Amino acid sequence: MRLEIGNFPVEDIAFGEETSYNDGLLTINKEEALEVVKEDEHITEADLVIARPGEKKRIVPVKEAIEPRYRVNGGATFPGVTGKVESVGEGRALALKGCSVLAVGKHWGSFGDGLIDMSGEGAKYTYFSKLVNVCLVADTDEEFERHEQQKKNHAIRWAAHRLAEYLGKAVKDLEPKEEEVLELEPITKRPQEVNDLPSVVYVMQPQSQMEELGYNDLVYGWDANRMLPTLMHPNEVLDGAVISGSFMPCSSKWSTYDFQNCPTIKRLYEEHGKTLNFLGVIMSNLNVAMDQKERAAMFVQQIAKSLGADAAILAEEGYGNPDADFIACFAALEDAGVKTVGMTNECTGRDGQSQPLVTLDERADAIVSCGNVSTLIELPPMETVIGELEALARDGLSGGWADDEKLGPSVKEDGSIIMENNSMFCGDQVLGWSPKTMKEF
Amino acid sequence: MKKAILYINQFFAGIGGEEEADHQPEIREGLVGPAMLLNQLSDAEVTDTIICGDNFMGSNEEEAVEKILGFLEDKEFDIFFAGPAFQAGRYGNACGVIGKAVKEEFDVPVISSMNEENPGVDMFKKDIYIFPGGKSAAKMKDDMAKMAEFGNKILNGEGPLTAEEEGFFVRGIRHQVWLEDSKPAADRAIEMLLKKVNGEEFKSELPMPKIDRVPIAEPIKDLSETTIALATSGGIVPVDNPDKIQSASATRWGRYSVEGLDNLPNREAGEFKTIHAGYDPAAADANPDRVVPLDALRAYEEEGRIGKVHEYFYTTVGTGTTEAEAARMGQEMVEYMKDEGVDAVILTST
Repeated sequence: MRLEIGNFPVEDIAFGEETSYNDGLLTINKEEALEVVKEDEHITEADLVIARPGEKKRIVPVKEAIEPRYRVNGGATFPGVTGKVESVGEGRALALKGCSVLAVGKHWGSFGDGLIDMSGEGAKYTYFSKLVNVCLVADTDEEFERHEQQKKNHAIRWAAHRLAEYLGKAVKDLEPKEEEVLELEPITKRPQEVNDLPSVVYVMQPQSQMEELGYNDLVYGWDANRMLPTLMHPNEVLDGAVISGSFMPCSSKWSTYDFQNCPTIKRLYEEHGKTLNFLGVIMSNLNVAMDQKERAAMFVQQIAKSLGADAAILAEEGYGNPDADFIACFAALEDAGVKTVGMTNECTGRDGQSQPLVTLDERADAIVSCGNVSTLIELPPMETVIGELEALARDGLSGGWADDEKLGPSVKEDGSIIMENNSMFCGDQVLGWSPKTMKEF
Repeated sequence: MKKAILYINQFFAGIGGEEEADHQPEIREGLVGPAMLLNQLSDAEVTDTIICGDNFMGSNEEEAVEKILGFLEDKEFDIFFAGPAFQAGRYGNACGVIGKAVKEEFDVPVISSMNEENPGVDMFKKDIYIFPGGKSAAKMKDDMAKMAEFGNKILNGEGPLTAEEEGFFVRGIRHQVWLEDSKPAADRAIEMLLKKVNGEEFKSELPMPKIDRVPIAEPIKDLSETTIALATSGGIVPVDNPDKIQSASATRWGRYSVEGLDNLPNREAGEFKTIHAGYDPAAADANPDRVVPLDALRAYEEEGRIGKVHEYFYTTVGTGTTEAEAARMGQEMVEYMKDEGVDAVILTST
């Protein structure tokens, strides 16, 4: 399968007459863009705000991030989400690099939402402070979940996906600055010298713990809670087949942007044919019941064995209960002789003294650790807030609180905040960017 | 100038060996024995030396701790040292006991040194900084130098003070750090994988800690005489959440009466709901007995299969809640249960 991505670096974004791209500047016709947003009548209010690296801006509650893309054959950027279900990962796509569309609640936050600071001390906690962000700040009439801690955030998230697709069209007739080719031969059709290298699968455990539909990550628009592990081509993951959900504490979350740019897949591609033979992605999931966890681990083990994988990289989107899926899968792979490296974050508590994962196993002997969800973070006020700062304290975000005997509320009167890393937007970057690790003190 | 105090045993104070091991705790102004060496090496001034016989500490721990904390009450000090204790087991224990008490009472850094075979290492490495030391006093200078050097770093506010860089025994205290070379996780994973596949040595970033298992209790022989309490980490609370238990990363718990109730009335009835943010609340809100099975237990009570349902159920939220907080809350709950004659607990998770 061969996927070409034509890349257009975005250095700045401005509003103007025509949605267009010219030499690093993305111009957006706001009115036209908002029409796309409001195609869903459940969007009651919407605005677009630009947030650039270095600006004194704080964005919260952030629900999703997406890289604007255009599919050259005209198909949906996100099959099963923004259009009909079609196979992706082959052909040609165009991408606006260095920017993202952020879905931001105008007022209301939920458990899985996060915060982004575009400058200052807080900027280091999230990858998205480095991007030029188009913030879609919106409200909806989804009254059934207005005051619920868990929100599907359907209208805003889907609007952001449509917006990303709309912005991608700005480059449809242009020549990209850079070409990226992602090609893997079919597994049984590879040259001997590639077959002789250690063969590796990448096992992904996207978040799918909600039994009710609408909260979980989607694979081709299908709720990952309702699937069994399956073999996917890595290009499908990079090309919009998987979108993020609306449930997990935010630092553990993988946004759609993260899937589209998954650094571990990119690194496996770089090594393919040199140090290893990249077989593909085993797309698993995360479950709540023990038999579901065991069944998923069993399927992953079977697929890896059937493929003859020598090694695996395993990554979980979450912590706490999902650690059981992560460790079960790790152990199953090791039992099958598949040498495994796990990627995860930890929950060692504010004092660092708690057990790092809910379940431990001596077979999980090689782990790359990407951060502590419960680290306390204090940040000074920002000049501008995009969204509503109070949401961090009021709406049950995983890293915020309305009050605490010792620490007071998460949001102070002067606009300064105290929060857990839990609510840093996609902060732990388990898909591979994380510059953080965990150390003993 | 910053100030330090050193704890040593009767032997290193020059009082005597085994025959003087019952020596009562005392504090002496100035430098006794190894305190002179520490004073040379430390950026702080060693103002006092505390001395105690190893046997005295071993057999009268409470009294010894109380006396020594009393000596320290009116002293000003920024850092506390104990030892080095080498391979001497009782001395290592004494350094750990005093070090831990001083840390808790005065919240100053406490530094010691012991040989890896000294049982004091495992007993106290979580509580104080312990550096690996030699087997005998021949290593006094080296061991004291490590303690002093690390103390100087703390006093001068230098970081990051990780176990790996400083060399003290790992304490099970893990925090996130930004790698100096910013090497992304994906690169680290590929490198680790290639090493593992090629049979080379590799280093996990999360070495598997020893697993803290609670032994399973003995079975109850006769349930018909037993008072059973219900406890849950599933976040069932009265709808107004009177104790303000957090929806995630909980540090608070509550207990609520079930006296006279056959089951837990639900959210719609304005009585009980879940505030747990880690699972879909619909089923629990509709019928809280699904998380706290009072209805089933009442049926058993009626049939005489169990003695009695305890008057209260105990509740907190498990999602994101640290093991340490959970253990503390559990211990607090058990106090009430013991006082009120609970024989057994059914603990439900979600």
